[in-house]
Amino acid sequence: MPDTDPIALIGWSVSPMVRSTDKTEAQMLLEVITGAVENAGITRREVDFTCAGSCDYVAGQAFSFVQNIDAIGAWPPKRDSHVEMDGAWAMYEAWLRLQLGDIDVAVAMGSGRSSTADPALIYPMEMDPYYLAPLGTDAASFAALQARALIDAGKVTERQMAEVAARARRDATGNPNAQVSGDFDVDTLLAEDYVRSPLRRHDLPPITDGACAVVIARADKARELCDNPVWISGFAHYSELHYPGMRDLTTSPSTTLAAKAAGLEEAPVEVAELQSAFTHEEPLLVEALGLAPDVPVNPSGGPLAANPIMATGLVRIAEAATEIRDRGRQRTLAHSTSGPCLQQNLVCVLEGGSK
Amino acid sequence: MVQAVQSTIQFPYKRSLGPVVGAFMTALTDRRIIGIRSGARVIVPPLEWDPVTAEELAHDFVDVGPAGRVTSWSWVASPTAQHPLDHPFAFALVQLDGADTSFLHAVDAGSIDAMSTGMRVAPRWRAARIGHITDIEAFVPGEEPVVPDDDGGPVAEPVTMMDYNASITYTLPVTPNQQRAEEANEQGRFLGLQCPVCGRTYTGGRGYCPVDSVPLGSDNEVELPQRGTITNYTIITPVQYPGQTETEPFARVHVWLDDTGVVLGYQPLLDTPNDEVRIGMRVSAVWASEAELKDLASNAEGRLLGWMPTGEPDVDDPDLVDRIQ
Repeated sequence: MPDTDPIALIGWSVSPMVRSTDKTEAQMLLEVITGAVENAGITRREVDFTCAGSCDYVAGQAFSFVQNIDAIGAWPPKRDSHVEMDGAWAMYEAWLRLQLGDIDVAVAMGSGRSSTADPALIYPMEMDPYYLAPLGTDAASFAALQARALIDAGKVTERQMAEVAARARRDATGNPNAQVSGDFDVDTLLAEDYVRSPLRRHDLPPITDGACAVVIARADKARELCDNPVWISGFAHYSELHYPGMRDLTTSPSTTLAAKAAGLEEAPVEVAELQSAFTHEEPLLVEALGLAPDVPVNPSGGPLAANPIMATGLVRIAEAATEIRDRGRQRTLAHSTSGPCLQQNLVCVLEGGSK
Repeated sequence: MVQAVQSTIQFPYKRSLGPVVGAFMTALTDRRIIGIRSGARVIVPPLEWDPVTAEELAHDFVDVGPAGRVTSWSWVASPTAQHPLDHPFAFALVQLDGADTSFLHAVDAGSIDAMSTGMRVAPRWRAARIGHITDIEAFVPGEEPVVPDDDGGPVAEPVTMMDYNASITYTLPVTPNQQRAEEANEQGRFLGLQCPVCGRTYTGGRGYCPVDSVPLGSDNEVELPQRGTITNYTIITPVQYPGQTETEPFARVHVWLDDTGVVLGYQPLLDTPNDEVRIGMRVSAVWASEAELKDLASNAEGRLLGWMPTGEPDVDDPDLVDRIQ
């Protein structure tokens, strides 16, 4: 990527992923921020900027992010910001902020307690308020319209979607945070009823409470604090128009643009962590990203194993970073998305080694 | 065991529609569906700007449909409370005749077996139309729009506003610290939680010290005194919003509990005329008796009724006013 200073991930922490936690959102954040700064070998005092991603409608409280600041330890006062987006976008803002060069260390976080209420009733409130929200169209219904378009176009079959689910659940058996894991027979999965045709239960993500925090630092500081920083070699996001009926749902041009801007094509990646919360989104994203067929996708199980809304994308970045720091990979990819039918897409390319 | 508190939040939004969405909604009351021209394309539902180029569009409206072709669909076997129909139906993208985009709405087809991509559908109009996306009850299979016998006809004036009402029931956990703080309140006590790092004390069952970011628990509990000094106050002239029971101006005071760092904010002051409230006044907590408890179901302070002047001499300290937390 041209004209950006090197910045690295130096610590991160992912909370347990559960259907319903007895912790408040601030308590979940308190634990992952403590985990992330300890992982980075620093304390909160050394953090110069914080940015959180969360959603008031999910929390059931206006200005819920104000309470979450309690988890930051903002005394003496800290520079702080918030996005009503996945924590991956909070990390994007933190990365941008560090580009200014006057401060060195930032924490980005994402958190959501989807157990507070029925996600199918919350999601429509985030849509176009004139044409979409009053119809109550929920996330799974939007996803189903895109899945049907892909099936009709011959780009995916219901069997392939079930195979994605079975593989994700199998891969998730090694992930202690997975809510859904194990060996599942594809024919058995295909025998289940539709939830939103052509989507069955296995095509949908679980409902999850969870949080994630990451620590990023400018190059000199990262090298000082950390023996094996994970470098952000490319970071970009693009949005398409909102109304799904005005888009070609069989493509994801914003994903392709973000990948190009993040320099994805400059070298192969060894692993991709994608925010494909619905099975059919995986082949669509793989195509839009131009990934080689042998690149493992979501070895953690991905969002089909645990889907903490507002943190799912940041967890992808943490997983892709773990692949480099703990599993010997050199170049990995993380993706996040927002809006109905993959409206907006973010691509983050990570690299090991020295910069 | 973790307790939870359930609350239902209403979201009653009123939205202004502007010249383009307003024209679309007004046309619906006349049983017409309109799009807007953008170059050679017709966009339905109409937008104020071209969604690709962001060019502001001239208000060049064109009637489309009313019938069209399903370009994608999903069968909803179990509708939610927010869905337009209360029985199984399909969400569908419908490319109305004459449109270059697809319109998202419900299709009332009776059965998933009646649905297919490419099928033709037409709107079933609501009898009493107000200028709202649900003036179309749903689309139905076939070419012919369905008009009710008791059709109410178009509205007389252009539609400029719409209502959107959502209601969501939230369930939030009550943490063990909050439970113990409530139990203390029921017993006429203030429970404090003291940070083991900085020594600051918090009330209300806070789960952590926000300065040091360490969890607080039963090991950190301290009993707080029941007397204190008013550090600041405000006289509130009540606005009659729903739920407001006060009708006359009343005081809310900040009370600094003796020998602690704790200031309780916005506390009721009892039996004191508003013009006698002052900084430095000594007060003590008054709790509801067993007999009074049953009238307190909705009291924000639980069993605490408020604070009563003790009659002790005022504290003379010019810095008191700065202590509001």
